[in-house]
Amino acid sequence: MKKKLISVLLSGAMAMGLLAGCGSSTEGTTGTNSTATVTETKTSDKADSQEVEKIKVYLPTSGKFDDLDNVMAAVNEITTKEIGVEVEFHPYEFGQWFQQYSLFLSGTEDVDILANYGGYLNAVSQGAAYDLTDLIQQYGQDIIAMEGDFLKSGEVNGTQYAIPIYASYAWTMGILYRQDVVDELGIQDLVDNVKTLEDWGEVLAVVKEKKPEMTPYVRNNGSTATNFQYGTWDDLGNNYGVLMDGGKTSDVVNLFETDEYAKLCSVMHDWYLAGYTSKDIQTQTDGFPTLTRNDAAFSTLGQADFNTSFYQSTTCGKDIGTVMISTPAARTYNNVTYTIMSNSKHAEAAMKFLNFWFSNEEVGTLIAYGIEGTHYKLDANGMGDYVDGQDSASCTYHLGSGISNTNRIRWNTEDPDYSKLLIDSNNSAQKSAALGFAFDTSSVENEITQLDNVCSKYQIGLECGALDPETALAEFNEELKSAGIETVIAEKQRQLNEFLGK
Amino acid sequence: MEYNGAHNKVCANLLEDAKMNAKGFKKFKRYIPFYIMALPAIIYFFINNYIPMGGLILAFEHYTVSGGIWGSQKVGLSNFKFLFQSSDAFIMTRNTILYNLAFIVLGTCLAILVAYFLHELRRNMSRKIYQTIILFPSLLSIIIVSYLANSLLAGDTGFINTQILQPLGLESISFYSEKKWWPFILIFVHLWQMMGTSCILYLANMSAIDPGLYEAASLDGAGRWQCFFKITIPCLIPTIITLTILAVGKIFNSDFGLFYQVPMNSGAIMDVTQTIDTYVYRGLMNTANMGMSAAACFYQSIVGFCLVMLTNTLVRKISKENAMF
Repeated sequence: MKKKLISVLLSGAMAMGLLAGCGSSTEGTTGTNSTATVTETKTSDKADSQEVEKIKVYLPTSGKFDDLDNVMAAVNEITTKEIGVEVEFHPYEFGQWFQQYSLFLSGTEDVDILANYGGYLNAVSQGAAYDLTDLIQQYGQDIIAMEGDFLKSGEVNGTQYAIPIYASYAWTMGILYRQDVVDELGIQDLVDNVKTLEDWGEVLAVVKEKKPEMTPYVRNNGSTATNFQYGTWDDLGNNYGVLMDGGKTSDVVNLFETDEYAKLCSVMHDWYLAGYTSKDIQTQTDGFPTLTRNDAAFSTLGQADFNTSFYQSTTCGKDIGTVMISTPAARTYNNVTYTIMSNSKHAEAAMKFLNFWFSNEEVGTLIAYGIEGTHYKLDANGMGDYVDGQDSASCTYHLGSGISNTNRIRWNTEDPDYSKLLIDSNNSAQKSAALGFAFDTSSVENEITQLDNVCSKYQIGLECGALDPETALAEFNEELKSAGIETVIAEKQRQLNEFLGK
Repeated sequence: MEYNGAHNKVCANLLEDAKMNAKGFKKFKRYIPFYIMALPAIIYFFINNYIPMGGLILAFEHYTVSGGIWGSQKVGLSNFKFLFQSSDAFIMTRNTILYNLAFIVLGTCLAILVAYFLHELRRNMSRKIYQTIILFPSLLSIIIVSYLANSLLAGDTGFINTQILQPLGLESISFYSEKKWWPFILIFVHLWQMMGTSCILYLANMSAIDPGLYEAASLDGAGRWQCFFKITIPCLIPTIITLTILAVGKIFNSDFGLFYQVPMNSGAIMDVTQTIDTYVYRGLMNTANMGMSAAACFYQSIVGFCLVMLTNTLVRKISKENAMF
């Protein structure tokens, strides 16, 4: 009897749980609908009443934001007056961001504008990205004027889902190294002669001999990214099917079977054996900037363009030089994009704000560097600098340039002509044949899940040189094949052909 | 006549039932205060564990933000495919089950043994000190544990290589790329970390054993080991069975922190460190697919549920009073 009673109670409870879930969710959706209509009516007669809409922006940063409230007050003073929008920023540290990002995508948080770091395709396939095609025409004219053709890198099948920041589109694989060490050892000639990754070995040999306390080669991002993440190829969203040489042709090939990839792996393996890398490179957790700041690393591979030396010198706090391994090419998509959540109740206001943020210099500077006199000052050349007595560690607000556009003051570590150089670099670069293409993964999700697992087994070891490519590369390719890489490549080629109108 | 007999029998049965029911109801009535005392916990479990069960529907749909939990497109069983399609399906299932079996068997033996040692200590002070030392690792975050392991195992800087093997003139071992060491390392780390907590449970049970039993036994000339095997173990059997059944229910789940963090995500040893949880994490971390993640968890819980039922049935067959339900 007791048992029966309990089981009846429990099953009743379960049923009620289901019902309760149902009830609340239907309520939720109708609630959303009704508020949506309310907002619409609000916006339509907003012109007279000037009602302020509040939106929330979620984004990652490596900067400081202790004094966020004061900066936001200053931003809101402007935006309320100009576009009738009040904005609330929610910055997250990078490590935390990558863990929270999926949660934001699930739509359970109250997010209006979401930053996407390293691709927005998941946001689209989860149905979390708002269709911006009409909104951007209506409220985003400044963005259209600024980005031009590059706006396409936020499209999927002709629908605008994301707004990329106007940053460097054209980049390639490059070697980042400590310029001050090269100067000290007097090996600039050697560095100047480097054309391929293999050539760099000679420089490493000298560094290993003369600077025994410094690891000649380390991975760029610690364990969060593969060693060849920033390759000379266009990875088309993921590495399963790429366009070689930065997208000169539209033939999708299997990267892991190319001679170029095998060559890179074997160079790394030689370095590993020669002791130019640490024996623990596979499990390295600190990134290049951290290691360089502590004088523990000499060089790494990374994303390189005209501004890399400037940018990396600031991040690492040391004088960094760059050797590009091939010519920069404009890729499929940009690293940082903003999407509006599909369940946002303030999509129009969000679009208005993005347009304003991307074009208004005052707000652009405020969000990137804070309030003049409190968080930064202008030096004699009109460049930004920390206020006297403060530095990057003690400054209370400095989100930095990584998340913003060019409509801001220049920081004193940047080239004063940065925005002109950027436009030149973007416009003059070779454009990938797939520029603006976005791979829709929904039909091959099972394959990609398996491929990701195969990659986590081999890719790091191969690209760090810990595994011998003679044997491991063949095994890797075998397993990729049985996990269905050919299906994914075929699907990618099909979608690309469709995109190119072939 | 025959009909009458059958009728009588039915009547007797009914009467018995009625009596039983009346007794059951009385019993229930007697326990009402206890049910009231348990009410907060029941409410907690209802809110925390039962209401979310509705979310299991996620495993059968392609979740989109606009559709929400209830309105997204239903896709049947296709979310489950990826778990079985892969060539790694066998490896990860094997690893998950074997590691968990090792943890259950070795963990239980070791915990009882250590608890017995602690129990035998006469001085309260030293018992408390040892207990605290043994319990301490379980308070450490797995991230810290993984770096402790790393400082022992690393190739260039690790303690084992630089302080033990090299001075002895032995060749250094690159632990993070050799498979054969990992079953031992993982089991060792797990036991080292978790023994303290399970040890406490057994220790508490041991203190509840009537000291008279031990006295009588030693009067009859039983030694320590005899006391241990003839008195302590039999008295602990119910606890052992309960804990084991609970552990068996989780045999398809693995301690994610242990299998993901401690091997430092090293690919070369994945054949012996990959479990269902790490596979799901590695495969879905980049795609953030809610449906497939829910499907994996659903599958794990279903198998776990069946295993609990099965183990309990077995236990009931063997000795009824020790079964959980």
